[in-house]
This record gives sequence, C-alpha cells and structure tokens, in this order.
Amino acid sequence: MNRRIWGMAWAILFLAVPVLGVATFAVAPAINVWLPKDVSIHGRDIDSLFYFILALTGVVFIATEMVLFWFLWKYDAAAGERRATYIHGSHTLEVVWTIIPAATLLFLAIYQMNAWADVKMRRPDMPPTVEVVARQFEWRLRYPGRDGVLGTQDDLHLVNDLQLPVDEDILVQLKSMDVLHSFFLPNLRIKQDAVPGMRIPVWFKSTETGSYDIVCAELCGWGHYKMKGRITFVPRSEFDRWLERKYAEQEATRPAGDASGNLAAR
Amino acid sequence: MSAAVHTSTAVKRMRTSIFRVPSRRESSVTMTNHPTFSPSVRTPWPLVAIGATLLASTGCGRTEPASFRLNMVAATKTTAPLSGLKEPWAGWSEDRQRQVATILEAMFGTPDRPEVVPETGLDQGKLRLAAGPVHSDIVGRKNGLYREHCVHCHGITGDGMGPTAAFLNPYPRDYRPGKFKFKSTWRDAKPTHADLVKVLNDGIAGSSMPSFALLSPPQVDALAEYVKYLSIRGETELALFSYIEQELEADATLSEDRGFLIDEILTPVVEKWAAVEEEDAQIPIADLPAGVDFALGPTAPGNRESIELGRKLFHGTGGCVKCHGVTALGDGQANDYDDWNKAIVETGKEIAGSLTQTKEASTGQMSAEDRATHRAKLEWLSAMERVLEGDALTPRPIPPRNLRLGIYRGGRRPLDIYRRLYTGINGAPMPGVGPSGPGGKGTVPSEDIWHMVNYVLSLPYDFDGELGVDRPMVAKDRF
Repeated sequence: MNRRIWGMAWAILFLAVPVLGVATFAVAPAINVWLPKDVSIHGRDIDSLFYFILALTGVVFIATEMVLFWFLWKYDAAAGERRATYIHGSHTLEVVWTIIPAATLLFLAIYQMNAWADVKMRRPDMPPTVEVVARQFEWRLRYPGRDGVLGTQDDLHLVNDLQLPVDEDILVQLKSMDVLHSFFLPNLRIKQDAVPGMRIPVWFKSTETGSYDIVCAELCGWGHYKMKGRITFVPRSEFDRWLERKYAEQEATRPAGDASGNLAAR
Repeated sequence: MSAAVHTSTAVKRMRTSIFRVPSRRESSVTMTNHPTFSPSVRTPWPLVAIGATLLASTGCGRTEPASFRLNMVAATKTTAPLSGLKEPWAGWSEDRQRQVATILEAMFGTPDRPEVVPETGLDQGKLRLAAGPVHSDIVGRKNGLYREHCVHCHGITGDGMGPTAAFLNPYPRDYRPGKFKFKSTWRDAKPTHADLVKVLNDGIAGSSMPSFALLSPPQVDALAEYVKYLSIRGETELALFSYIEQELEADATLSEDRGFLIDEILTPVVEKWAAVEEEDAQIPIADLPAGVDFALGPTAPGNRESIELGRKLFHGTGGCVKCHGVTALGDGQANDYDDWNKAIVETGKEIAGSLTQTKEASTGQMSAEDRATHRAKLEWLSAMERVLEGDALTPRPIPPRNLRLGIYRGGRRPLDIYRRLYTGINGAPMPGVGPSGPGGKGTVPSEDIWHMVNYVLSLPYDFDGELGVDRPMVAKDRF
C-alpha cells in the first residue's frame, strides 16, 4: 500500500507541471511578467508569431503531459496488475510523429520569413539618424551635426540618452568600441548584437511617444547588468528643439551654459 | 525425430517461460531468470544527513556592518621612527588607533550612519539618502545610492580601492587627498558642487566612470554631497595624522577637546571647500577672439585662422609637443605618474633604498642603543613595504593624452578644453598655460587659449593637415 501511495504521489507531482505551467501563463499578464508594451510597427507581427507558437506548443505540451500522468497513474507497478509488454516499436507511429512536427516547423519557417525580412533585411534607404556605439558599460550616441553628415567635427556626442522623433523611420548605425554587446529595445522588439569591427544598421519606427529602456543583451563584463540607457520618442518639433539645445550646450564657451542635462529634469 | 521433438518442446517451454506473467506469489522470487520489478523506496538516510549538515553549516549570523578603513599608507608614514627611538617599532598603539577612530566617528559617523558635525557644512539629509545599505523606507525613494552605484570601484572609504578597482585603467578616484581633476576652479582649489554633479551626469569618457544622467537630480545631488563627505573625512584624517606626526610626542595623548579638533583640524579642511562656492572662485573665461565661432565648423575663415594660430601655439609657447608629441598622438614621453600613483611610487623607492642601506649597515660596532634604533628602523621599513604592497594599488604611469581620438575625459565642449588648458589638470602632469592665480600672468594670453582650443578640437578630423574632410583620422572610426 505504501508503494502505491508513493506511485500516486509521483504521478501527481508530474501532473503539477502542466497545471502550474498553465497557471503561470494565465497569471503572468496580471503580475507584469508578460511581454513588455510594444510601440513599434512590426512588433505586432512578431508578437502574433510568438502567440501562435505558444498556442501550438502549449497544446502539444499539455496533451503530452496529460498522457504521461495517465500512464503514471494507471500503470503504476505497485498496483501490480500485469507486467509491461515488450514490443519492438511501431513504424507507423514513428513516421506519424516525425512528419507532423516537421511539417509544422516547415510551416513556421516559411510563415515567419516576412516578419524577419521586415526587421533584418529590408533596410530603408536613408542616411543614419544616429550612431550608437556600445561601450563597457554605456551607450555612446553620435548625432550628425548641423551639416547633416555623420562623422564630422560638429557631431553631437551624448551618452545613454537617446531621443528620437516619433512616427518616423529611424536608422541606427550600431558599432562597438570594445567587446560584444547587444542593442536591445524591449518595447520595440529590436535586438541586434554590436560586433566589434562591424557597422550594423538597425531600423525601427515607433508609434507612440514615451521613454523606454535600452538594455545590453550580450554579456560584456562586470557591468553588463547595469548597462542601461533610455530611448525617448517625442514629436518632431520637440526633437528639433532638443537637438538645437544640445548643440548649443556642446558649443558652450561660457559657464552660464554649464548645466549638463539630467534626464529626469526633462 | 524424437530428438527434434524433444528440442522443440524445450524451446517452447523456454519461450513461454520468458513471456509468462509471474503471479503475485512469484514476483518476489529473485532466482528466476527474469528479475522482478520491485521499486525500493527506502529513505536514503546518508544523503539526508549530508544535506542537513550542509544546510545547517550556512549559519544564522548577520554580516558585520561596513566600517571605514584607516588610511594605512599615511598612517604608517607618520610613525617613522624619529631618531632616538629605542623600543622596537610597534606601529600605532591600540590606544592611538582607537583615539583616531573615535575622533573621526564623532565628526563623521559611520558608513551606515553618516552623522556629521554641523561645522562640515554638509547636508545631513542628502548624506542619509546616499549612505547605508540599499534600502527603502518611503515608497519611491531608495537609500544607499553610494553603495549601489559607487562602492565597487571607489570603496567604502572613498579610497578608490573597491573590489573592481584593480582591473581598471585609469584607477578610480581616491577622494581622501581631496584632489579632483576636472573642475572649473583654479588648479589647487577644490571642485564646486556643480563640478561634481557634472562629472556624475556626464561620466568620464575614456575611463570606466559611467554617466549617471539616468538617475534623478536629487539622487545625483546626494551622491555629489557624499563624495564631498568622503573627501572631507579623508582630508581630516590626513590632517590628524600630520598633527600627530609633527606636534605630538611619541606617547602623548591626542587632545579630544571638541573645540580644538574643530578649529585646528577640521576647519582648515572645510574652509577650502566652502571657498570654491564663492562667486569669484571659478577661473575667469576670456571673451572669444573676433572671428572665432565654434558653431560654424573648422572650414569657416575665422576658424581656419584661429586653428592655424592654435597650431603655432601648440608647437611653440604652449609647450604641448614635449608630452603630446608633434603629431599630437601622445607619444612625447610616457614615464610620469599622476599624483595618487606618484605618492606610492616615490614612497616605494625611498623605502626600498633605505631598506637596502639599513640592512647593509653593519651592526657589529654599534652600541646597544644604536642597535635598538637600527632594529626599530628596519621594522618600520619592512612594515611600510608591506603596506605599500598590500594596501595600495600597483602604480600605473599616466600617458599623455592622444589628442587624435576625440575622447576628452573632462568634457568635449570648448569651455571644458579651455579649462583644461588654462589650469592644467590637478593631480596629473598636465600643466596649465593660464595664470596660476587671480591677477597672475600665464604662459599664453587668456584670449589666445581659445585658438588652442580650436586647434585641439580639430585634431581628430585633421587628415594630413587638411581640415574639414569627413574622414576621421583614427583608423577605427574610418569604417
């Protein structure tokens, strides 16, 4: 009897996996551990792909776990009903449960190609809006100066405070000053490794104003966890005014212009 | 025929015996040629015992609260045996150490409770926000900012020797001598509060000091105040040691009279910090020469001339090529140290020299007195050597800046470069070309410093002497 109880306990423990799994997913949005708010234009496609895969794998997962529980419960050896039968396997079964997942994966691979191309391949034909150089442990930004060309003496240099116009295509030129970093914008569903020696274009467009996070997503040293920046989207007119103000501050020749911008004051 | 029948029956029996389902009674028999399936669920007591022991060994004690460390290098220096010292060198006596710790704690509190005497002029509220372990007692307000953001490089005592410090180049600032590099005041003066806030907000490009612009202004303010607190505390400690070394007999007790300590030890330190908050404490900024406009870029005619003048000054009276090199790549000379590292290097050389000398001195002909002095000296020298080894970072030379990179530690505005040129950099070998004090006269007229600024800012983009081309000089920026 004791062995039977152990057997049932194990079966119930295994049942807890799908039960708690489903419960966690159900509760996640309410306790703010679900997908971050999406303000990008292609985020919708990415998120719907995510949900599709989640649903598919979720159904299969729950079904498999249920069957596992059922076998553990009904065919517990301690119940001692009968001995397991040895079979050499079923060729039909093997073929079926290989073909169906392969077909599913093939479908997914083709279904997502458009979303991938939008984010990683269809670069808008425009000059870079800003150059982001990842560095241990900050994001150094360089806006083209009044001459509109990136890489000349009048460029605006800032750190960590990336401001951009809303509702406009943005092209970021991503570089790294030392080691591998990764430019991760959770609220825009953008993630791109910054590889030393490479100049990588990253493009996006935001549909909403507001301040969001830039975080580093590739382990880069002891300060990786605190390598955070802020990306803020503002209307174009406000962006132009901000840019002018920053140019003037960078050209300061008098102490009156001494207040160096602190983000929260904005 | 009969043999075949016999064999087939035997085989049949064997086959059925393999596939026969054992009855309950048989299932416990282990001698048959198929083992039974009987899971054993005995509790693994040895494993449980080991697990419980491991858990229990983590203990239930609390960690000790953080405490300030004594400035060991300075402390050991002050106890250099004076001539006539006969006893073996005993370092600082327990009493003396306790005295110093008590005095400092009375004036400055502890890392968790920074309770300062009002004569320091520090804001207690801001210090409380910055000090202590990271914790929150009001929703939306977090205390312990220094420990969260600064301590791993700058250390609990502000000695620039936190756990991460050894891996950094340049080393984090040691606040205790009260010297700061990037500020708006005269070379030997303290930085203003705004200077400290600026460094916190901008970080220091080209070093590991990050920008804290993402913190709120009150938080940055609190951190700047705490830096001042650590600096004033460090300087008071050094003033105390200096007093002990110069004014006190070997075993005299230090006066603990509040008035005396505040007036003679603390106030001279605090006065210097208060002085820079006055109106005229910052260096005067000359007007821009006619034709110079930093908003127009290097190709504007006024700026072109200015850059040419700046180039002449750079190679001429400015005296820059000696260190920065004729190509401004920073390859002039590279064997100097900044003041914090220089102190360690020079003390180290002195000690090493004295140690060799003292060891070689023959003790055979000495009187008992001399021998005692000799032994005391030897002990002190060895202790000093150990302290330099164990309580200071390995000194690193400071190379002159490569001006072609476009990385400016103190800030990239024309105003910042002007300040660096005018006063030089306090604590670094970089000299200033402006007057050394109010009403003085510099190597280069103040207005002409703007021409040097213009030249310096054009250097990263000056390709083979051609201005304004959009090909940065430094290879890594060219792709």
